[in-house]
Amino acid sequence: MPQVIEVCPVDELKPGDMRLVEWEDLEIGVFNCAGTVYAIEDRCSHDDGPLVEGTLDEENCTIECPRHGSLFDLKTGKPKTLPAYVPVDTYPVIIEDQTIKLEVE
Amino acid sequence: MAVELTENQQLAAINADYEERYGFRDAENYLYKAPKGLTREIVEKISEFKSEPQWMREFRLKALDHFLARPQPTWGSPLMAEVDYDDIHYFVRASEKAGRSWDEVPEDVKRTFDRLGIPEAERKFLAGVGAQYESEVVYHQVREDLEKQGVIFVDMDSGLREHEDIVREYFATVIPPNDNKLAALNSAVWSGGSFVYVPEGVHVEMPLQAYFRINTENMGQFERTLIIAEPGSYVHYVEGCTAPTYSSSSLHSAVVELIAKPGARIRYTTVQNWSTNVFNLVTKRAVAHEDATVEWVDCNLGSRLTMKYPSVYLIGERAHGEILSIAFAGKGQHQDAGGKIIHAAPNTTSNIFAKSISKDGGRGSYRGLLEIAKGAHGARSKVVCDALLLDEHSRSDTYPTIRIGEDDVNVGHEATVSKVGEDQLFYLMSHGIPEDEASKLIVNGFIEPVTKELPMEYAVEMNRLIELQMEGSIG
Repeated sequence: MPQVIEVCPVDELKPGDMRLVEWEDLEIGVFNCAGTVYAIEDRCSHDDGPLVEGTLDEENCTIECPRHGSLFDLKTGKPKTLPAYVPVDTYPVIIEDQTIKLEVE
Repeated sequence: MAVELTENQQLAAINADYEERYGFRDAENYLYKAPKGLTREIVEKISEFKSEPQWMREFRLKALDHFLARPQPTWGSPLMAEVDYDDIHYFVRASEKAGRSWDEVPEDVKRTFDRLGIPEAERKFLAGVGAQYESEVVYHQVREDLEKQGVIFVDMDSGLREHEDIVREYFATVIPPNDNKLAALNSAVWSGGSFVYVPEGVHVEMPLQAYFRINTENMGQFERTLIIAEPGSYVHYVEGCTAPTYSSSSLHSAVVELIAKPGARIRYTTVQNWSTNVFNLVTKRAVAHEDATVEWVDCNLGSRLTMKYPSVYLIGERAHGEILSIAFAGKGQHQDAGGKIIHAAPNTTSNIFAKSISKDGGRGSYRGLLEIAKGAHGARSKVVCDALLLDEHSRSDTYPTIRIGEDDVNVGHEATVSKVGEDQLFYLMSHGIPEDEASKLIVNGFIEPVTKELPMEYAVEMNRLIELQMEGSIG
């Protein structure tokens, strides 16, 4: 069953900001990319690197894994460069009552 | 009356027969040579020298940060501890610009090339010649028919200048700058290498060849090669490496990226014969899309330490990857070679054939990875690694890793280690073949499955090099 969880008030995650959200056994990276918020699994599919500790490219909407440099598309979760080749999960983001929320399962 | 030589005279005498003993070594003659060690200023200087766009300058500086932040790898070989990054010149410029014709190439550079036989080789069957003298390609010619076909074969610096859009789209997408410490180093200071672009459906009939040389003491060579084969195209790229011997260590750290689009085929052949003081730490990786084929033919003879594992990511259905590897480890050498294949799509196929020969206390290692990802059903792979030990003091190691995440696959792995046996030698000698000849025959038979895949010229050179390595192996 999908469930909605709260992340934080909208003004706490400014453009260029990112943060880790833990829910049950999930670790999710939430990113504000030039005003649009995205959420993806916080685990590089190549070597489990923590993506929220990587470099956010707001222009291309990608996050670079700090471990071996794979770039992930924040919109789709797909890797744009090797060595990762498996997409990571993405989570729908809901902005409601000035609050960032995620739909998780 | 015998004259006693001073210490300096004795030292000079050691180098007097340098040419005869080690090949050749031209006097150093450069326009610019960076001081030893790696700093932000040097990286900026390289970028400035090359008049690069801002994005490449930023790419280099970011890579430098990755390089400095990463610890030196401790796996692989204890010889890695000998690499001293502060004792290396990171950029040397031999001449003002890449020569367009043979006449424009400076005389001293030409002499070196003459000894390598490049002009002759070119007349015979080169499709184009790119010769890397120090850090920059000084001579590069593309045959007219290649240009007519729309094939781009230039040095990487020219590639960036003349085809920036293509380079920017693909550069570092196969090997990101922080993939590993050496890739980060190359990304920060790269210079030269080849840029090859083959348009859709074009078959390049002749192999494209580039020769690489190092000729400055303690000079790192950091070439960067990017090959893009558009759908249905074919290209064979050949690189041969030689270097004169020096007394202190040099570092060679290349990055090679191959992209084979759907139905394309890329073959990349290397004959590596660095002098035995060179650390050869190279990252080579290919990506093969649907129905594409990538083949690495990798021969490692020289260097003090080689750590090189060409890899193929089979990311499209029915893609095929092939790695053929020969390593010859003589006295004081460690050849840590192998290959990696990642099956990331269904019905992909691959073969790895690795052969290593160890002699006079040399160490040959096979290090390989075969990975079959979940969902890559119907994948088939065969890994064969054979080692031949020529004496009691030499060493062979095998580090095969196989990860399988799918049930419906077919994977085979064979490994053998053998010694040149007395009975084999006795059998050949009883047919009137002298012992050293017999030993060469056994070694040539052992590597034949790989040498037969080399272009004729290289197969001849390989056999000759192996024979040289084998000299004095008996008794």
